Amino acid sequence: MNIDVVAALVMGLAGSGHCLAMCGGLAAAMGYQRSPMRLFWYNLGRIISYAIAGFIVAAAFFSISKVHANGLVYLRILAGIMMVLLGLYLFRWNRALLWLEKAGSYLWRYIQPLTQKLPAQKTSGYVFLAGMLWGWLPCGLVYSALTWAALSGDPFSGAGFMLLFGLGTFPAMFLTGVFSQKLATVLQSSSFRWIAGLLLIGYGIATLFIAAKQL
Amino acid sequence: MSQVDVSMSKPEATLANEKEACFHCQQPVPAGFSLHVEVLGHARPMCCYGCHSVATTIVEQGLTHFYKYRETKPGELPLIPEELANLEDDLVRYDDPDIQREFVAANANIQTATLAIEGMTCAACAWLIERQLHHLNGVKKVVVNASTERVQVSWDAESTRLSQVLRAIHQVGYKALPFQQADLEASYDRKRRGYIRRLGVAGIASMQTMMVAFGLYFDDIDDTTRLYFWWVSLLFTAPVIVYSCQPFFANAIRALKARTLNMDVPVALAMVIAFIASFYATVTDTGDVYYECVTMFAFFLLAGRFLEMQARHKAVANAANLMKLIPAIAERQTTDGWEQVMVKYLETGDVIRVRPGDTIPVDGELLDANAWCDEALLTGESRPVAKSQFETLYAGSINQDHPITLRIVATRQDTLLAGIIALQDSALEAKPKFVRFADVVSRYFVAATLIISTLTLVSWYFIDPSKAFWVTLAVLVATCPCALSLAAPTAMSGAISRLNRAGILMKQSALLESLPKIKTLCVDKTGTLTKGKFSIIRSQYNSDHEELLLMKIAAGLESYSEHPLARPFQRLAKAADVTNARNIPGSGISGVVDGTEYRIGSLSFIKQWHPEFKNALAPANVFLASKDKILAEWQVDDEIRDDAEETIAWYKSRGVEVIMLTGDSNLRAHTLAQQLGITDIRAQLKPEDKLKAVRKLQEISPVLMVGDGLNDGPVLAAANGSVTFSSGSDLAKSSSDVVILTGKLAGLRRLYETSLLTRNVIRQNFTWAIGYNLVILPLAVTGQVGPLWAMLGMSMSSLIVMTNSLRLMRNAR
Repeated sequence: MNIDVVAALVMGLAGSGHCLAMCGGLAAAMGYQRSPMRLFWYNLGRIISYAIAGFIVAAAFFSISKVHANGLVYLRILAGIMMVLLGLYLFRWNRALLWLEKAGSYLWRYIQPLTQKLPAQKTSGYVFLAGMLWGWLPCGLVYSALTWAALSGDPFSGAGFMLLFGLGTFPAMFLTGVFSQKLATVLQSSSFRWIAGLLLIGYGIATLFIAAKQL
Repeated sequence: MSQVDVSMSKPEATLANEKEACFHCQQPVPAGFSLHVEVLGHARPMCCYGCHSVATTIVEQGLTHFYKYRETKPGELPLIPEELANLEDDLVRYDDPDIQREFVAANANIQTATLAIEGMTCAACAWLIERQLHHLNGVKKVVVNASTERVQVSWDAESTRLSQVLRAIHQVGYKALPFQQADLEASYDRKRRGYIRRLGVAGIASMQTMMVAFGLYFDDIDDTTRLYFWWVSLLFTAPVIVYSCQPFFANAIRALKARTLNMDVPVALAMVIAFIASFYATVTDTGDVYYECVTMFAFFLLAGRFLEMQARHKAVANAANLMKLIPAIAERQTTDGWEQVMVKYLETGDVIRVRPGDTIPVDGELLDANAWCDEALLTGESRPVAKSQFETLYAGSINQDHPITLRIVATRQDTLLAGIIALQDSALEAKPKFVRFADVVSRYFVAATLIISTLTLVSWYFIDPSKAFWVTLAVLVATCPCALSLAAPTAMSGAISRLNRAGILMKQSALLESLPKIKTLCVDKTGTLTKGKFSIIRSQYNSDHEELLLMKIAAGLESYSEHPLARPFQRLAKAADVTNARNIPGSGISGVVDGTEYRIGSLSFIKQWHPEFKNALAPANVFLASKDKILAEWQVDDEIRDDAEETIAWYKSRGVEVIMLTGDSNLRAHTLAQQLGITDIRAQLKPEDKLKAVRKLQEISPVLMVGDGLNDGPVLAAANGSVTFSSGSDLAKSSSDVVILTGKLAGLRRLYETSLLTRNVIRQNFTWAIGYNLVILPLAVTGQVGPLWAMLGMSMSSLIVMTNSLRLMRNAR
């Protein structure tokens, strides 16, 4: 139990307004919104992909902490910056993370053709696979969460962090499909974004503060 | 990829770009960013690479119809929905007679309407509204029903107007509008959405505050981080206090205004105190915070209220659904043919036409020779019923056969169907003893809670001031009698819903409470144990003659009689031609068929021809004879209901004494009683004798009377509980507590079983609720239970009571 768990969930939750508009629209277009089961499988696939990404990134940065004693502290500073950027992003200052998304869209070019091979809406298995592929969409929110996963120390807690982040986005993505559009308007309302953004920036600054003291 | 044009041109930084919204997610496109996807023939702006990828894929997979049909919402919505804003101005509209005709019943100058009230939650609200309306000049009668959230109000049209009544209710803080079945669904939906929104806010906040609280419980965190976490929790808890908890505060304030107490008083108090203390701690960086308690308390309480509301809705939904089936448009006869007209504009005396398969919109008398109707909606009987000319057809029944014309006798609120619905509603109105008991007990409980909390605070202040606050908070939360006040009403709603679905209408829900105590069941014979329709039970024909010929003669002769005993003969065979027919009332018919004179009728009538005749068929009561000999003997009697024997045996097996009270002759009554296994028979009773008999029986034990609604009125009123079998127009007039619409005696058994079940459920609920409160109280007072656990325990207790009551709704059939 530590702060990072809370941070992961908050990041997911705070960002879920964005998730709704972007991925929710996709899910709606694909017709997943029509049944709670499909929506569930789609989102599960998406979250699993996040966890895999978390595992990979954390594994890659695992070595850094071995090589350089202060490596993790620098990473923590990076993560703090990312957190602040994410907060700004929620304030509608989208530019903050666009460069990251752009980087991600190169990766997406390789994955996107795969999505076309899947039948549009078939069994839960296909929906799950589709969710896994869509999990790699270029998304600033995911990337900033990944920087946190990177500094978690070992690959498994990296995967765990991303899993929690995914879970944070889950209620909004899932519940709006099942209950009502109203929740979406709450999550997208400026007041909510404002609070969430402020919160994330606060987290980010706190992290930077702690990391700076450790240097 | 050929038809997709993905342009990724370099940004041309224009000011216009800034206001542009992303075509996919509808959020603003950042200034100077330009990325487009061609969708539906235009290059559409995108806000980020993610949206760009998604939009491209959607286009490539040919799913662009999504963009065409999706709902585009305005981007900015305030968190708090606008309420009551323009309501005042709309009220005057309700004074328009044209609008009023749909929901106001007028009797001379006194007008009566049912109003739906929003925001009413408890007995205190009912009291407040009642008092407010009684102050209004011209208001004659006010009946407030807290469980259905309706007010029935009568006013003098000369001294006040409906809009003034509505305004008076608004002034005390409730929303009142004319009640219409169609609106019920809409207002329920609105309420449900409101609850979900509040639940959503409380749910998200409680998740966050819990996570933070766990972090604070288990980790060694430096003071800066801890303080930061406190502020985070404060940010999340604030919307819960301001928005989610608003119903609790509103109720508590209303109760205090009415100078009474309800369970929301300690709830609101606990939340406000906990929040203010936490807020103070956060600002000054001292003491403890209870944010997670506040948010989770709100979440669980809201969840409980939400479930209760759904249960209550189910109980009234049955009735409301009936009204939905009435069509909105009818065909009315005018001087130049037929015209389409709204059903609400139909008047008594109009002639309308109903096509086969259509639902009859009003009550009316049949102008055609005959018709077949499916009255399943009214009686639960799915077999079509034959109707002959000038018989009344009821709104809600379905015309089965050919187009028919009707002359309207009752419209809208006056139809039988509306009557049934009103009955179902009013069943929830009367408060049975155990509901009143719970009201009173929970009021005292609340008072006790507040006193004990104060004492706890004072004592702990002397023992250990550092603990005084949270112990008091725990006491306040743990002892809140939420479960107690839910115990009876939820069970009653469940039971009434269960019975309604089985075609049993409760006019007095109090009967559910008294039924298990009843040890004597009195039944009327005709129309109760029997169907009230005469038919030929047994027959014996003279073997020297052809049976069919005798039947034809009997049918021919009886066609001259109006007596109910003659009816089954008229259907027996094709009537023979009869000449010189004479009807001798009280005796029979005589007439000539093919030159021979015959008589059909009672034993004494036949004995005039054959003085020494003794009937071969012992219970026979109709005979056919010529001057020479007896030709046929019939036993014509009321048909026994199929399930009569079974039901009576069941009641006897429960130790209930079954007594038959009838005005019929001794012999007939005994024959029937023997068949059914009834040993105690009181025959040849006049209505006043029946009344005396019931009074006498009541001296020993309470009596349940089952009888015919019209003739047995006084007896039914005198008995401790009364049941009638009704169909048709006598329904609303009957003076019984329960009406069984299905015409099946087995309904009596279901009624009894349900009342036993309800009593058990209520006892379990009370035992649990009181027991829990008594156990938790000493624990909380002594500081063994923290606020969080107290809150979880209280919520669980309420949910257990709710779930237990909901069992009544299951397996209704």
